Parts: sequence; structure tokens; C-alpha cells
Amino acid sequence: MKLHAAITVLRPRDEVQRLWQDPALHPRYLDEIDARVTFDPAPGDRGTEIHVTLEHDAPGGKVGKAVAKVRGAMPRAKAMDELRRFKQRVETGVIVRSDGSPEGERAERKLDQRPAQPLHENELAEAGAS
Amino acid sequence: MRANVWSGRNTVQVENVPDPKILNDRDAIVKITSTAICGSDLHLYDGYVPTMERGDILGHEFMGEVVEVGKGVGKLHVGDRVVVPFPIACGDCWACRHELYSVCENSNPNAGMAEKMFGHSTAGIFGYSHLTGGYAGGQAEYARVPFADVGPIKIEDDLPDEQVLFLSDIFPTGYMGAEFCEIQGGEVIAVFGAGPVGQFAIASAVMLGAERIIAIDQYAYRLDMARNKAGATDVINFAEDPDIVEQLKELTGGRGPDAVIDAVGMEAAHGHGVVHAVDRVKQAARSESDRGHALRDAILACRPGGIVSVIGVYGGLLDKFPSGAFMNKGLTMKSGQCHVQRYLAPLYEHIRNGDIDPSFVVTHRLPLGEAPNGYETFKHKQDECVKVVLKP
Repeated sequence: MKLHAAITVLRPRDEVQRLWQDPALHPRYLDEIDARVTFDPAPGDRGTEIHVTLEHDAPGGKVGKAVAKVRGAMPRAKAMDELRRFKQRVETGVIVRSDGSPEGERAERKLDQRPAQPLHENELAEAGAS
Repeated sequence: MRANVWSGRNTVQVENVPDPKILNDRDAIVKITSTAICGSDLHLYDGYVPTMERGDILGHEFMGEVVEVGKGVGKLHVGDRVVVPFPIACGDCWACRHELYSVCENSNPNAGMAEKMFGHSTAGIFGYSHLTGGYAGGQAEYARVPFADVGPIKIEDDLPDEQVLFLSDIFPTGYMGAEFCEIQGGEVIAVFGAGPVGQFAIASAVMLGAERIIAIDQYAYRLDMARNKAGATDVINFAEDPDIVEQLKELTGGRGPDAVIDAVGMEAAHGHGVVHAVDRVKQAARSESDRGHALRDAILACRPGGIVSVIGVYGGLLDKFPSGAFMNKGLTMKSGQCHVQRYLAPLYEHIRNGDIDPSFVVTHRLPLGEAPNGYETFKHKQDECVKVVLKP
């Protein structure tokens, strides 16, 4: 069973591929889960499409597919987090942080939001924002 | 610092919270001098928008003085007086490069949440639920402003706060609603809702050259403001006669307005009959989140081939969308959270030239500590309330 994640980055393909290999920017999580990554030029002035395919072992039949889909939900969400962070850092130079999600986009944070009010001193380092 | 926080449905309170800090090189910290309560804050207050957390600082219309900048900020300096746009925009993505700031592709760190609701993420917004990022808002003494070089506009002259504060949201929002109408001169424009955004939609339609502007509301004092301050030529009070569509036909020789602006959104109050009853039941069960009378009537009233401009805020799903009228009359619908950054410079220029004084909408001025009273007064339209400005 295949799961797919994609994002478009507003840079030419050769630059995106070069930055993807930069150790400071490279999304390591995608190596851990053994994802296949391809880069395609987007139409017009839209930059470069990054496509990530995650392979999932799925036992046969409908039930097997359903199980794989549930088990794949988190890896796919985390792959999207990595793609968004890469796009943010390439396009804006920073990881986008809010009070509710001080670490930046993170699948695990979706159901565990901080209140939207400033962080206490001791939370800053934890969020990687100090 | 002190800040106004959401603490459950229909409850806000002013609490002590930590001061904001620079989290990124491109951030600035602003000491707030004026901040306002927006009609869309009422959607959060009422609990119609999901993903609110107890303790969220509200507010997305604010201005003040820059007191700290990150090392990646070049255009702003400590001491600058700025108005801050409500959408947070990076300035670097494809959407921002095309001036579509309110759908910035990078500024919402809860994009995954928004994608589930809307198919795609939209920009981060200050103080406006976690669906739009979980950013602390501006009903506070200080706020952290990300991408400080992209959003805030410097106010270089000594215009009072109340004349420039509404550049943050409601003036550009109303203006964009009027601009959607493609006014060439000679048009009739109907504006549903004579709240603050409706007032600015009317005033902007006047500036853009519409010939007749019909304001629609159920409060006489708001219609008076629309006629006497914003420049409406006609008014419809649906508390007196609820058949808005028929009245609009009468006022336009049967044609219908050339364009209709929905400046109401999900707070629509004028529903009646069976459809309204169905809405109420579904909303009580939370299976429909948006009350859509204004949008339905806008579509039914608009002349064939005309434009429906939707700047009132919707958050979820709506039943009984009149798709037959929309399609067969060949209407065009345009919508969006305002791309405020696009309008800041030209609208600031209009204010400086004296073409408009946006402070005409202000009816209430309160210290920040009285924010809870401000919400109640505004929500229940007490004391002829149109716009509340809070002073930290």
C-alpha cells in the first residue's frame, strides 16, 4: 500500500535538490521511514513539486488495507510536517512558530495545543526557540 | 502583562500572562496602544469556531510601538509606530508574491489542522483560534508580530490612533468587498450588514464611484450611521419588513442590485420560516455551523450576471445554498479573508488625504480591563454599539 505526501516550493528544481541535500535542511525523518522522494518542475512560475511516497506493508484484503491506512496516518502527517518545515526554511529562512505550536508544525501537537499566550521562560528552550 | 483571554463559550476575562518574546529572527514585539473588538471575535466568543483553547489571547485589530526586533528584521526599528494587519504573511511564498496574503502558504504552523477543515491551509491570524495558527492576539499590552517586515505599516504622521487603527482589518476588508464589485460608475450596490465592515464597504463603494448604495440591517441606529456617515443612499430595515429580496427589487426597478456585498457572514440574524427553523435545529446539534440567511438572500437578490461579494466570515458548513439561482442567473462570487497587506499603503494615503476618517465607526472606548463588558455590549448591540476600542 502506498501513501503520498507532496508540497510545492517556490524555487527552481536544481536549487531545491541542492538544498534538500544540505545537512542543515535535510528532512531526516524521511530517511528513517525509507520514503521515495522525487522532484518535478511545477507549471509556470510555481517552483518545484516534491513528491514523497511511503511504502507500507499491507496484509491482503479490505481489513489489511484499513489497518495500513490507520498505521500510515502518523507517518504521512509527520512526512508533511517535514515537507512544510523544509518549504518554510527555504522560502522564509525560519521555522514558523506560534504560541499554540511553539516548535512549529508538528503532527503530535495537533491534539495537544498550548493556549495561544506567550511561553514561560522554561518553555522556550524546550521548543527550540531560544 | 495583562491580556484578554477566552475562557469558554460567551466568557472572556482579563488575566496576567507572560510577556511575549522574540521566537524567530523575523519577529518584532509591539507595545499596544489601541486594540479593537471585531465582529469576527464574536464568532469565537460564541463558540461557533472550533479549535479554541481556554486561555487563548483574543484580538486581531491592533497598533502600537515597536519595542524589540529580531536580527532578521530590516525595515522596522524600535520606536516605530505601526498598525499590524490581522493576517500573518511571510512575503516569500507564491501566494504572497501574488498579493494573496491571507492565504500565505507558510504562516500557519497548524496547517495540517486547517487542511482537514478547508482542504488547504490559509494564513495564520492573530488571536483567531488554533485553526489559523494558535497565535496570541492583540487584546493585550504587548504582542509578538512574526514576519515584521512584511505586515506592519509605519505611521509617520501624528494622526490619532482611531483614524489609522482600522487599517488592521475592517477598513481594508470593507474596501476589498467593494473592489470585488468591479465598480465602473453608475452601479447599485446592496450591502447586507451595517456593522463596522459593512460601514466601510459602503464608504469604499462611495469612493469607488457607485451611484446608489443600499444598506441592509435590523438596527435603526446602524442604518442611520450608514446613511449619515458612510454614504448609503437607501436603507432597508428588515426588522420592519423581513422580505429583503422583494424590497431590493422594488428599489431597483425590478432589476436587482448590480452587486451585493455580504458583510454579515455566519452571524446572520434575519432568517425566518422553515429554512431558519432547520438552521436552528442543526446548529443546536452542531451539524451545521454557519447561519446563511445573508448569503442566501444576496444570491436571490443579485441581478442576473451580477457579482456576489462575500467578506462576512463563514467557518464551516451551510445548508440550503441556492445553487439554482446562483448558476442560472450566471452570478460571480468572490470571497476571502482580506489581503490586508495589499491595501495598507493606498488606504493610508486616502486617510492622509482626508478622503475618509475611519474613526466614524467608534462608539465605545474602554480600558483593556473592561474587555468582558465590551464583548457583551457589542454582542447584544446595547447602547447603540457599533465599534469598541480598548486601551491597554
